[in-house]
Amino acid sequence: MTSTKILLVDDEQAITANLSPFLERAGFVVTVAADGKEAVRQVGDSGPDLIIMDILMPRLDGREALRRLRQAGDWTPVILLTQVGESTERAMALEEGADDYLNKPFDPHELVARIRAVLRRSRPGQPSLAAARRLACGDLMLDRQSRRVYRGHAELRLTPKAIALLEYLMTHADELLTRERLLDTVWGWDYPTGTRTVDTRIAELRRVLEDDPAQPRYIETVPGLGYRFVGDVEGVP
Amino acid sequence: MRWRRCTVALIPLVAGLVASLLFTQIAALPNPIIYVHIDAGTVASLVGLALSILAGIGLVPWEWARWRGAQREAGIRARAAEERLRFLQRLDHELKNPLTAMRAGLANLANGLGPEAQGQALASVEAQVVRLSQLTADLRKLAELETRSLERVPVDIAELLQEAVALAQEQPGAASRQLTLVLPQAPWPVPDILGDWDLLFLAIYNLLDNAQKFTRPGDTVEVRASEDGTHVVVEVADTGPGIPEEEVPRVWEELYRGQGARGVPGSGLGLALARAIAERHGGRMALRSRVGQGTVVTMRLPPGDIAHRR
Repeated sequence: MTSTKILLVDDEQAITANLSPFLERAGFVVTVAADGKEAVRQVGDSGPDLIIMDILMPRLDGREALRRLRQAGDWTPVILLTQVGESTERAMALEEGADDYLNKPFDPHELVARIRAVLRRSRPGQPSLAAARRLACGDLMLDRQSRRVYRGHAELRLTPKAIALLEYLMTHADELLTRERLLDTVWGWDYPTGTRTVDTRIAELRRVLEDDPAQPRYIETVPGLGYRFVGDVEGVP
Repeated sequence: MRWRRCTVALIPLVAGLVASLLFTQIAALPNPIIYVHIDAGTVASLVGLALSILAGIGLVPWEWARWRGAQREAGIRARAAEERLRFLQRLDHELKNPLTAMRAGLANLANGLGPEAQGQALASVEAQVVRLSQLTADLRKLAELETRSLERVPVDIAELLQEAVALAQEQPGAASRQLTLVLPQAPWPVPDILGDWDLLFLAIYNLLDNAQKFTRPGDTVEVRASEDGTHVVVEVADTGPGIPEEEVPRVWEELYRGQGARGVPGSGLGLALARAIAERHGGRMALRSRVGQGTVVTMRLPPGDIAHRR
């Protein structure tokens, strides 16, 4: 088995210098780029299996680099490292087809877990669910651009946060998502309520989607750990 | 600048005097009503004088208001500069301690330690890193609150308070405090608020958390909600040690920690966050305290129908 090649893109040398050996010890082959321009060039040259990219960088920022890759039809999985922490930034990351995103500062073990999860989900050369404009699961349809959810032809009434949560669950179908991770990625904040904040929204989703927690079609509770979207999700262009 | 503008008021007077010089050659005007002879020059001078006086009277309050406004603005700017300086000093202080601990820990590690001591040093450095991460997370929340888009959905304040109290009761030390929630039923329950459930919960939980942290075993913490015709009022009151009068205005400042807060864990951002959340919902916060008697924090929020019209 050949080792997984990872391209790590960050202009902060302190970060690449410490993360690279950590990732290498986790079994990956790591190359480093200092900005988006260099990253785009290296993707063309060496064809990494996965890209980890910071957003705020000189010359070409991570968001623009990602857009260029996707426009060129390159579907290498990308994990964006957000820094500003703006909730809009997270929404943008999803819109532009990032496969996952992680808020700085993060635990490097968490990064490795995300890398493995994204690699498991990805189909080489194919666009991932993260790049799809609409997500479908049976007659349930989430239009990511207009932020609307339909069941057949009927539009479902959901709060914006519940839609964001459903979007993340659907783009990470079949993956165990801890409440902490959902808080970090969908809310972007940690709350004192922690689990309750997530549970309340899951309850809202289940009520509106008429999903029975005992026999879930969509959202399964993983006792003591978190949630998992169990339906088959397809990307619809 | 101001006085130059005041000279404008003198223009009619000067114009009148100039006109009077021109009129000196003209004979006195006949006056058909009162037999007073007055020459045109005098008339022009008097008219000019009257106009100047009127203009002067008009300018004085205007100039006065401008001057007061400028004074006020300078005051606000000075206060903001002072607050900013204090914030930077506090931030410096908050960063200094964990960084010092980390440097010491790293120096110990570099010297080569036994396995047990090495484990301790690593754990201590990691604890400081987590502390710094928490600080940046809280600062980011505060910064994001300004721009974050708020959800505007009906929020049942009674239900929210019940959940917040339930969560507070699970915290260590809660059992030794008397924590009660008072919700009115008559003549009507507290109306809904249009807002962001998560943020409102965070704000109210912060108030409750503070009340629990700063009270002693045996103290009472009371959470009350009411409606006064224009606002929904949420109060978190305690019988704790209270806050000295001179500290009260500053408790809202970011990272501010009063004398009584030394040694109590926390970042000093809880009240600042709560206030920012209340303000984003069109509400206000207030705090009253008496040393030795306790503290009450009040959050006033516009009810749903009013918030909707905003």
